[in-house]
Amino acid sequence: MASTVIGAGITIEGEITTDEDVTVQGTLRGKLVAKDAVTVEHGGVVEADVTGGPVSVAGSITGNISSSDRVDLQNGAKVVGNVRATRITIADGAQFKGNVDMDV
Amino acid sequence: MADTSVIGRASFVRGRVTGDGDLEIAGRVEGEIAVSGEVVVEATGLVAANIEGRRIIVRGAVKGDLVASELVSLEATARVVGDLRAPRIAIAQGGLVRGQVATSGGGAARPRAAQATAARAPARETARREEPRREEARREEPRRVVPAPAPSKAAPAKASPAKVESKANGPAPRGATIAGSRVGPPPPVVPVLKKGTKAVQKKR
Repeated sequence: MASTVIGAGITIEGEITTDEDVTVQGTLRGKLVAKDAVTVEHGGVVEADVTGGPVSVAGSITGNISSSDRVDLQNGAKVVGNVRATRITIADGAQFKGNVDMDV
Repeated sequence: MADTSVIGRASFVRGRVTGDGDLEIAGRVEGEIAVSGEVVVEATGLVAANIEGRRIIVRGAVKGDLVASELVSLEATARVVGDLRAPRIAIAQGGLVRGQVATSGGGAARPRAAQATAARAPARETARREEPRREEARREEPRRVVPAPAPSKAAPAKASPAKVESKANGPAPRGATIAGSRVGPPPPVVPVLKKGTKAVQKKR
């Protein structure tokens, strides 16, 4: 449980820097820098550039995503922005607009 | 419970945290916090922000004003520099506060008016500021296990509770000594204020 959770109904405007997991169920505007997993759950809204380890999206992200590991866009996800990661999955039903940059 | 937000101990948030639900802070927050539910600043929490909420419980360090519509509770490990405003305020033994304490039913409107009057009469401000702290000390006295009857701002009164404190609160020596000396006439925060006021007077 040593992680950061932005609950539904909570809005953070600003910058989050963390060494641990982040779960977004609410709204985040600004910037998100994590060293570990970032999860945007269904209903979560991120209007920020996201840097992290594995990024899993079921909610909405407007901004660039940069991951040292993988990015999973799940069913229901809505992503507008460029994605940079070593691996990426886009599930059926995910909306995505942007460029993909994978280290080939 | 599902709406509880957590700022983990390795997290740093700079900006505004607003909305509905509870908030638990074990990491660092700089900016502003205004939520509708309960705000808990854990022992590892470090907050440089004004906090608004229904209930505010502090076990860590806060620099900023705490305004709650229901309750502000400072537990033994709390360190707060800022004003406290709530209908109910609790300060546990060992909890450190520097700032104005006001238990009032109103929200932000009334305390702000009070601040304005304090600003208009700066000469009386120090006296006003001392008042709540003395009240605190008095309030805490019955809770202490003080053998001496009615310590009335005399030197022995200062000495005896300090001894009791140091025996009772072994693991928190810093808080204990400061909390113990708060019973005596010069509370720990007042000398700091007095130095400041003296400096101001010298400048004038």
